[in-house]
Amino acid sequence: MEIVVCVKPVPDAETRLRTAADGSTLDIEAVKFVLTGYDESAVEQALLLKEANPGSKVHVVSAGPPPRTEEVLRASLALGCDLATWVEMPPGVAPDPVSAARALARAVAAVPHELVLCGKNAGDDEAGVVAGALAELLGVPDYSAVLDLRWDAAASRLRFQRSTEAGVEKWEAPLPCVVALQQAWNDPRTAKLPAILKSRRLPIAKVPPEAAIPATGTTRPTKFELPPPRTGAKLIEFKTPEEAAQKLVKVLKEDAKVFP
Amino acid sequence: MTGPTLVVGELHDGALSDATKEAVSVAQSVSGKENVVGFLAGSSPRGPAAGFGRCGVARALVAEDPRLDGVAGAVVAHLVASAADSLGAELVLVGGSTFGRDLIARLGIRWNAAVATGVTSLTRTGASFEVRRPVFGGRATETRQLEGAHAAVALRPHASAAPPDSPGEVALTPVPLDGVPASFWAAKRLSVEVVSRGAGPSLTDASIIVSGGRGVRAAENFRLIDELAASLGGAVGASRAVTDAGWRPESYQVGQTGKQVSPQLYVAVGISGAVQHLMGMISSRVIVAINSDSTAPIFKVADYGIVGDLFQVVPALTQEVKRARGQ
Ligand SMILES: Cc1cc2nc3c(=O)[nH]c(=O)nc-3n(C[C@H](O)[C@H](O)[C@H](O)COP(=O)(O)OP(=O)(O)OC[C@H]3O[C@@H](n4cnc5c(N)ncnc54)[C@H](O)[C@@H]3O)c2cc1C
Ligand SMILES: Nc1ncnc2c1ncn2[C@@H]1O[C@H](COP(=O)(O)O)[C@@H](O)[C@H]1O
Repeated sequence: MEIVVCVKPVPDAETRLRTAADGSTLDIEAVKFVLTGYDESAVEQALLLKEANPGSKVHVVSAGPPPRTEEVLRASLALGCDLATWVEMPPGVAPDPVSAARALARAVAAVPHELVLCGKNAGDDEAGVVAGALAELLGVPDYSAVLDLRWDAAASRLRFQRSTEAGVEKWEAPLPCVVALQQAWNDPRTAKLPAILKSRRLPIAKVPPEAAIPATGTTRPTKFELPPPRTGAKLIEFKTPEEAAQKLVKVLKEDAKVFP
Repeated sequence: MTGPTLVVGELHDGALSDATKEAVSVAQSVSGKENVVGFLAGSSPRGPAAGFGRCGVARALVAEDPRLDGVAGAVVAHLVASAADSLGAELVLVGGSTFGRDLIARLGIRWNAAVATGVTSLTRTGASFEVRRPVFGGRATETRQLEGAHAAVALRPHASAAPPDSPGEVALTPVPLDGVPASFWAAKRLSVEVVSRGAGPSLTDASIIVSGGRGVRAAENFRLIDELAASLGGAVGASRAVTDAGWRPESYQVGQTGKQVSPQLYVAVGISGAVQHLMGMISSRVIVAINSDSTAPIFKVADYGIVGDLFQVVPALTQEVKRARGQ
């Protein structure tokens, strides 16, 4: 199976967020960008599918600025992805999701792709838009909120679950398609040192972003706000559990006004 | 020029979902009541589409086909894009759900729309729209300007109130089913297993959530969390330590790789407050932590804390809540 995984470099979860000087975006100075969250799980899922289906290839694709985009591609190669393509965007903030999808679509359309995997949403913008927009551009269906993805070779069907507001849905679908994974569990593997060293020398195909963006709707960030820091819990003093319970119910009722 | 706003409906238990009604109310406030048109696709959408009338929407489009039940937003997007074009709409609005996001994503391409999801506030600024939306797991909020002739927006659940139910009629117009590529019908939804969650609300719908962590120690002790949640009329959540241990299924997990929730009240019991957990619940309005370790990081983000043994505190709290609520 020809598998493409789309990954986006996002700030490490431990990053202390700050607003950039112009007030409109995240200050990316000194921020460490990593392969993380759903994308890390998507890479793991791709590698599991490859291992279960000999002859498969995993091609990792990312659209973004240097140097972070190259870094997550190398990290993916170190984990065992076979090929990498970088859609090189100008330095600075990440493209908005629809622009990212347009940039990715050109790169993905140019390589073999039966199954395209994305994360459910990126850990920074949390849009959950790229997979659907990419699928529309590629002219294939997409399935979101997917768990437990398997390939049934005998039936030539993907089998998977979707976790939606209706409950846990069981699905089967033919290729080609785009799948947005909501996989929380598959304990992603970690790269071994020799693989990391080797990944530094592996080729990464570079493609320019789309030359002329068609006349289209776009979004422009104008403000990036951080909530006032939480000051720490007001601790409830008590001698018995019953006293703790009474005091807590009282503050929830009278101060916080959240008691049902 | 301001064209109409199309609100795409979704069904929940055979009626318009709360998320849809929230979208109607936002549409009415940005576009004016008379400029809102409903849309509903399904095997028999006419009955439930009457719900638009009770929200004050006078006109709705319906796409009727047995294959349209339980399809992904991707399929409906094609119908919505044609409907939006023929109406001359400027804005398509949907509630906050998986279906809504999928639909909106497609409209970004198919309808050349500026797209935003998870939106907590939508306002008109001159000829376009401005949205606010939480990002980074609720650790920050961004404002974006939507530029271009079309906007497609999915709201965040519960960010706005549904309009009051009032008697009202909606005129229904059928729309044709063309434009959906044949390959889109090839997937099959084989079954839906409604996640059993007792009588309580679902995690993403709940205004009160009680979550348990590794401190609960064993699957059978989790009933302490269930009982506290039930006494408060809330939903039950869990940390990843709990779902990894198999004490509760993955659908209970709150956090970076689980569900993102922002209830009025979040009670964290026996949860240390790892950053990946915080990413799922930090935007809750009031956070209460119950933990035996006074240095647990959860106390840094909580509003109220009880440093104590959950096995003593939680049963006492459940009793006290029941008493206070006259149960
Ligand atoms: C990529 C990645 C993604 C992740 N995603 C998530 C996610 O989505 N959600 C998530 O939750 N985690 C996630 N994690 C895991 C996260 O890092 C923590 O390991 C996890 O949240 C810890 O769960 P916990 O707080 O229940 O357990 P612990 O950290 O072990 O904390 C247990 C707490 O219980 C307290 N306790 C023990 N006994 C008692 C008692 N008798 N009474 C009261 N308190 C008691 C202890 O003091 C302690 O603070 C992720 C990790 C990674 C690396
Ligand atoms: N710039 C990008 N390059 C590659 N993949 C991306 C990019 N942006 C988003 N994705 C993929 O799309 C998913 C959803 O992103 P988003 O729609 O931004 O929430 C991510 O988890 C990635 O798999």
